[in-house]
Amino acid sequence: MIHKIKAFVPLALVVLISACTAKGDNPGVEYAPQMYHSVPYEPLTQIVDEDRGEWLSNREDGKGEFYNSNPNNPYAQNVRIPVAGTVRRTSNNILPYRLEKDQLAEAALMENPFPASPEVQAEGKRLYTEYCQHCHGSDGKGQGKVGVVYAGVPSYSAPNKKDLPQGHIFHVITHGYNRMWPHASQISEDRRWKIARYVQQLQQQ
Amino acid sequence: MVAKTTIVRFTTACLFVCCFLFSEANLFAQREAVPTDEAIIKTGAGLFEEYACNTCHNVVGKKVGPALAGVYDRRELEWIYSWVKNSTLLIESGDAQAVGLYNEYNKLQMAAYDLSNDQILSIMAYVRNVEENPVVAAVDSAAGSDGAVAQVDGVPAQYLNIMVGVLVFVLVVIMIVLGLIISVLRKIAQDKGDLSDDDEAVINEKFSLSSFLRSPVVIGIITFLVIALAGKNVIDGLYTIGVQQGYAPEQPIAFSHKLHAGQYEIACQYCHTGVEIGKSANIPSVNICMNCHNFLKTDSPEIQKLYAAQESGQPIEWVRIHNLPDLAYFNHSQHVQVGEIECQTCHGEIQEMEVVAQHAPLTMGWCIDCHRNTDINSKGNGYYDKIVELHNKSSKTPLKVADIGGLECAKCHY
Repeated sequence: MIHKIKAFVPLALVVLISACTAKGDNPGVEYAPQMYHSVPYEPLTQIVDEDRGEWLSNREDGKGEFYNSNPNNPYAQNVRIPVAGTVRRTSNNILPYRLEKDQLAEAALMENPFPASPEVQAEGKRLYTEYCQHCHGSDGKGQGKVGVVYAGVPSYSAPNKKDLPQGHIFHVITHGYNRMWPHASQISEDRRWKIARYVQQLQQQ
Repeated sequence: MVAKTTIVRFTTACLFVCCFLFSEANLFAQREAVPTDEAIIKTGAGLFEEYACNTCHNVVGKKVGPALAGVYDRRELEWIYSWVKNSTLLIESGDAQAVGLYNEYNKLQMAAYDLSNDQILSIMAYVRNVEENPVVAAVDSAAGSDGAVAQVDGVPAQYLNIMVGVLVFVLVVIMIVLGLIISVLRKIAQDKGDLSDDDEAVINEKFSLSSFLRSPVVIGIITFLVIALAGKNVIDGLYTIGVQQGYAPEQPIAFSHKLHAGQYEIACQYCHTGVEIGKSANIPSVNICMNCHNFLKTDSPEIQKLYAAQESGQPIEWVRIHNLPDLAYFNHSQHVQVGEIECQTCHGEIQEMEVVAQHAPLTMGWCIDCHRNTDINSKGNGYYDKIVELHNKSSKTPLKVADIGGLECAKCHY
């Protein structure tokens, strides 16, 4: 009898060990979990369950080892939206842009702080490919794969668009225009100005 | 009494007919005022193309703005002229039609166009031509789709089948030939007659499956194979402890990278905005989804979840897939911006994943392996000039990440 049970030991071992492997919703087993989980607040990790990892916890507040969220923030998030008017430390000497959405006429008077040099235009092209191309198309005619489905994406070289000044383009990326939504949260000021330089090239095509 | 009602009825009827006639006449006058001259239609088609009217308007059917067909029946020509030239001015003047249109189409303003009355009329001539002769447009689109269908590949698959077929045929022929050779040899040996008992036994050997399976050699081999396989599985399983490769959790919204990054070719950086400028690539916030989904697929239950999140301000709790242990430091911008490494190098063919799974093991051996093999891109970066010069004096291999501290413990563990 024992003989027969013994024969199943390796099989059981295989089944047991294979449960450690990550697959689907199962992240697998962690080795030394106390070294895996962050003690300070992690911006992109939020564990709201206070009992998670209680079995190995030696925290002073008595909560589970893996608990990681800030109860003082809305939804106990570890990140907060910056205070209105915050100036980024890494803004690359570009002053914060304070014009409101309806001040398009004033925006048109703004000068691009970057020259129309080949380096700036090359950088602008790279950024354009990442942030604009799927709607506006690689040639700026509004025929990007998303643009065609979304509809209403104009051509930069259309007679009423081709002479729009740099400040106008910057303002539209920042605040959006008609169907286009604001992209200020995704693209920093200096990058928006560089994209405007490349759009200028596309306007003349 | 009777006469009075009759008169009233008669006059009402007359008025009706007059109104009808008048409006009908008005309609015809509007439509007929749009020229059908070939040359003018051609000019209109050119302008329609040049000003890309079709980004917002279809001739038949709503797009961003209303359908253009029949606009000359709905509005006065003068009104159309002033609308196209400067719709904002018309709306601000309080024109009822203009304000109604503006509100109906989600308060989107049509841009001002510097066109003359004749040019606008020629565009309408083009619109009228397309409306009244829809066959032309249909033929055009059919021709376009034909071109797309013609591109069908599948030749490699056919070649593969033929090759497999030929291989199987060759194998069968070889087996038949070998069988023939064996029977011929056996016959020759038996004909000879003067064989020893041992040789006789070999030639006339009968194959028995049960005695074959019970022979100690076979039992030994099978036992060894079972133990080896079980052992390999156990060791493999133990190696996956702490490795989340293949982890593909279900997300709160059924977002498909295959659709967004694959079919629609949206760059990774558009949503993962931190990847070039920060430690983390970032999980996009709802406002980025809304850049497109404020108009697209608004009825889908999955997209409705976005609207709920936007309204309440409660973030969507995406499940984090890549959980690099806290004991190791990793910075995305250092790898993507400076090292110019493709996202797919570590994350796999994301643009083909319906549900994202962790592609790389994210083990230390995996990191180190890449650091040993990757060349430093020092081109156009003055910082590396002297380092490259010094390195080339003592080594013949190009400067690798490992040579500038890519293997130092404290580079990632601190």
